[in-house]
Amino acid sequence: MLKSWPLVNNTSLLLILFAAIAAALALLTALRPELTRVRGGKILAFMALCILPALAMWAGVNEHLERSTSTQFCLSCHVMADFGRSLYVDDKSYIPAVHFQNHFVPADHACFTCHTDYTIFGDYKAKWRGVHHVLVQYLGKIPKPDEIKLYTAYNNRECLHCHAGMRKYEEASSHHKNPEMLAQAATNQLSCISSGCHDTVHDVANLKDATFWTPKAPQGER
Amino acid sequence: MTATLMERRIRWSGLLIAVGLLSQMLTLPLTHPLAFVGFIVLGCPLVAAGILLFLYSLVSHDTP
Repeated sequence: MLKSWPLVNNTSLLLILFAAIAAALALLTALRPELTRVRGGKILAFMALCILPALAMWAGVNEHLERSTSTQFCLSCHVMADFGRSLYVDDKSYIPAVHFQNHFVPADHACFTCHTDYTIFGDYKAKWRGVHHVLVQYLGKIPKPDEIKLYTAYNNRECLHCHAGMRKYEEASSHHKNPEMLAQAATNQLSCISSGCHDTVHDVANLKDATFWTPKAPQGER
Repeated sequence: MTATLMERRIRWSGLLIAVGLLSQMLTLPLTHPLAFVGFIVLGCPLVAAGILLFLYSLVSHDTP
C-alpha cells in the first residue's frame, strides 16, 4: 500500500543540507554583523543574506510543488484513504483502479494525472479550495469520504490527454453508437464518466462490498 | 545613517533568514499538505522578509 510520510529521498537530503548551510551562514552574519566592515565580510553577507536563501527558497518551492503531484501527497490526509483503497479494487469497471493497477497512469502520480486542475495546480479558486481543504482537515468538520464530490463536472479533457488519437479509443464500436459521439466527447458535450458509459469511478460508498487486488510489489513509491 | 544601524538591520535580516530556513528544513522531510502550507506560509515570508531587509539596509546606507 502507499506510504504517506515521511519521505526523505536524495533530493530532500540535498535540499536540507543546502538550507542548513545557508541558515548557518545567515546565523553567523546575524551574530557577527561587524564582519561586514571588511570586503570579505560584505561578500559573505551578500551570499548568506541574499543569494543562498533565495536559492534555497526557490529549490524548496520546486521540490514541494513536485511532491504535491505525488499519490502519497494526495492520500496523506485520512479522509482520502478510501479513495486510495479504491485504486486497488479488483473490478475492471472501476476506471481509476484499472488505470492505476495497469500503470495506464503513473502509479506514483496517479491522482494528479487525472485531476490536473486541482488545488495548487488550478486557477485561483482551486488554490483557495486547497487552502480550505487544509483548514477543514485540522479545524473544521471533516466530511465522510462518500460525501466528497468534485466542485465541477469532470472534464473529458483529462481523459483525452491520453485517449485522443488512440486507435482503440477511436475505433471502439461503443464510441460510434451515434456518428457525433467522438466529436461531442472532444467538446465536452458528452461526458465520458457521467453519461452512463464509464460511470463507476472511485465509488467509495460501496467499497465495503468490493474485493481488492494485492500487488506483489508496492505501488506508487518508485 | 550610522554603521551600527546597518549592522542592526543585518542582524535582524540574518535572524529572519535563519528562522525561515530552519522552518523550511522542518517541512522538507514531509510529503504532506501541512508541510507544503508551512513552507509557503511560514518559511517563505520569513526568508523573503530577511532578504528584503538586507537589501533595504544596503540601499539606505550612506557612505561616510
